[in-house]
Amino acid sequence: MTSRETLAVATVAVPALTALALAICPAKLLTALARFAAVATFAVAGALAVVALVDSGSPSASDWIVIDAAAGLLVAVIALVGLASVVASADYLAGSDSFVPSERRIRIYYLLLFSFWAVLLAVPLAGNLGAAWILVEATTATSALLVGFSGKPRALEAGWKYLILTSLGLGVALLGIVLLAAGVPGGALGQLSWHALTTYSSGARTALVAYLLLLAGLAAKIGWAPVHNWLPDAHSEAPPPVSALLSAALLPTVLLVAWRSEHSLASVVGIHTAEDVLIGFGLVSLAIAVPFLWRPLPWKRLLAYSSLEHMGVIALGIGFATPLALAGVAIHIAAHAIAKALGFYAATPLLELEPRAARHAVTGIGRTRPVLGAGLGVSLGTLAGLPPSPLFVSELLILAGGFQSGRPWVAGVAALLLSLGFLGLAHTLIETIGGKPRRRALAPRELRTVTVLTGIALTLLLALAAVAVWLPTSSFVDALVQGGP
Amino acid sequence: MSGTLLWLLVGAGLLVVVVRRRSLAVGLVTAQALLLAGVALRDAGGAGDVVAAAALAARAVALGLLFFLLVARTREPQRVRAGASPLVRTAAAIAFALLIVWLVPTMGLTSRTAERAVLTLVGFGLVVVATRRATLFQVLGIVLVENGVALAALELPGASSPAIEIGVAFDLLLVALVATVFHERIFAEFGAGDTALLRSLRD
Repeated sequence: MTSRETLAVATVAVPALTALALAICPAKLLTALARFAAVATFAVAGALAVVALVDSGSPSASDWIVIDAAAGLLVAVIALVGLASVVASADYLAGSDSFVPSERRIRIYYLLLFSFWAVLLAVPLAGNLGAAWILVEATTATSALLVGFSGKPRALEAGWKYLILTSLGLGVALLGIVLLAAGVPGGALGQLSWHALTTYSSGARTALVAYLLLLAGLAAKIGWAPVHNWLPDAHSEAPPPVSALLSAALLPTVLLVAWRSEHSLASVVGIHTAEDVLIGFGLVSLAIAVPFLWRPLPWKRLLAYSSLEHMGVIALGIGFATPLALAGVAIHIAAHAIAKALGFYAATPLLELEPRAARHAVTGIGRTRPVLGAGLGVSLGTLAGLPPSPLFVSELLILAGGFQSGRPWVAGVAALLLSLGFLGLAHTLIETIGGKPRRRALAPRELRTVTVLTGIALTLLLALAAVAVWLPTSSFVDALVQGGP
Repeated sequence: MSGTLLWLLVGAGLLVVVVRRRSLAVGLVTAQALLLAGVALRDAGGAGDVVAAAALAARAVALGLLFFLLVARTREPQRVRAGASPLVRTAAAIAFALLIVWLVPTMGLTSRTAERAVLTLVGFGLVVVATRRATLFQVLGIVLVENGVALAALELPGASSPAIEIGVAFDLLLVALVATVFHERIFAEFGAGDTALLRSLRD
């Protein structure tokens, strides 16, 4: 095992072992252990991400572990959001109920959270399609209970939908994987390394069917329209730190599996066909999401529909597959994760301040609680693509990539949809921050966590906006273009 | 695999679409999975194949026990109505299976008959999830899909991949365990494992 692979194993092992330790740890040490282990996980995963990103020109790939530029990006995102989610969980747990008996509530919550985090960190490092499927399915099992953690009827409904729809989708994806296994040398599920997929030899038509089954199944997990029904429900009913992990980390991580599959199978099913499938999912997701961005939705539900929009944008960028578009994709994944996670973390004090926000659109938070309003504003302004948001730059790069790839009509339609989405979110931003505030507002317990997270997020977002200008000509994007994800 | 065995598997799948009793449906998917495990063991050509067959058998037994226990723990005051009558469900399942068999070209498995059986089982599983309101039946639909995929894995030309097949079996067990937790909570909250009661989240 190489030193990189050892680091990759450690990245997954630290949170996994922490989950085991949390099962037996004394109750009074649970939060301290969770925070300490979160910092340790972040440090190890961060080191791996730095190695993968700095040395992106020479990726390492075996049958079971792949460490490349895309894995580095996703590991960095998952590590950052995971750490912030653990930190933000204390505020959530201080004021929440659960179906788990109170004496075991915190233990079970952190145990599930670290299990979910460990599996999530493993997905981008999977060097084999079969192993990637197992890990993606495991994310469903570990996160579904977190979605329904409050035990409220709506949370149970959301958790059930999430479990059934994504498991069914992944069952269909598994059929696609078995079809692919039949066409690679060795003809077995264990032979499906990303490289082996390029040697598929049972005919382009069968490969296309397998590819479509695989992507349709993964789409159910990524939350691409039209198989996105679970997404708004799960994101709105899960505890806010879990919603952050689901939206900012899980969706792009599963999307990476789709991206790797597309890259490996493009030579078999045809490069344009493979890309067009992703572009199709991207456009449909955008078209379905935009009308919801114009509606006065509850805060977390609005963020969920924004996830649908942004997963569509990333699909478009991957489908365009030019250096400009892929640079946009990288920036988009990172900036979306930071802004979306901040939006969900801000939901914990928001729901304390205004419990009505769980079911209705919020207004005037900037007037009554300027600090919280700043958090919501940074999140929503970034997600809307308001300049100088890095998402503004990444969307421009992706659209430019669409023209560069010879698909002006697709880029034009996407630009129109993005403009409409921007207008919808900009209107919501004005209402949320500067609209007429509700009269009956309760004082929130704690704003320190969200204040610190807002400051960190703002700094990172501005840094990303600066990096975005330089990124298209970087060796990182070269690695994505030449070597694939 | 012989045509008779394939017909048995498909017949059990169709019965899951039709039957009303949860325990009978659990028995059918368990028998189906045990039959698959038996065939895998019979055709095993090496230690890897035996391990994969054992994983399939362990999954079948564990899921069967789990679901039977769940049925015993959550006795429905009255049977949960399905979203469609048995006749409509049967017609939909057969029509859908024929459609996907017609749409999907040769898959590369050892025989075309096996490929048709795989697609039919997957189609039946999807129809069960779409047409049944009872929570347990929806989980059984997923198990039916996974049994179809397990049949496909058995009919691959290459050797088994124990690591992957154990992983797939473990995942399905985990998902089933989580589903049983949800089923019990839904039963406790609403008095029935009926997904028709879960309709408050709409935009």
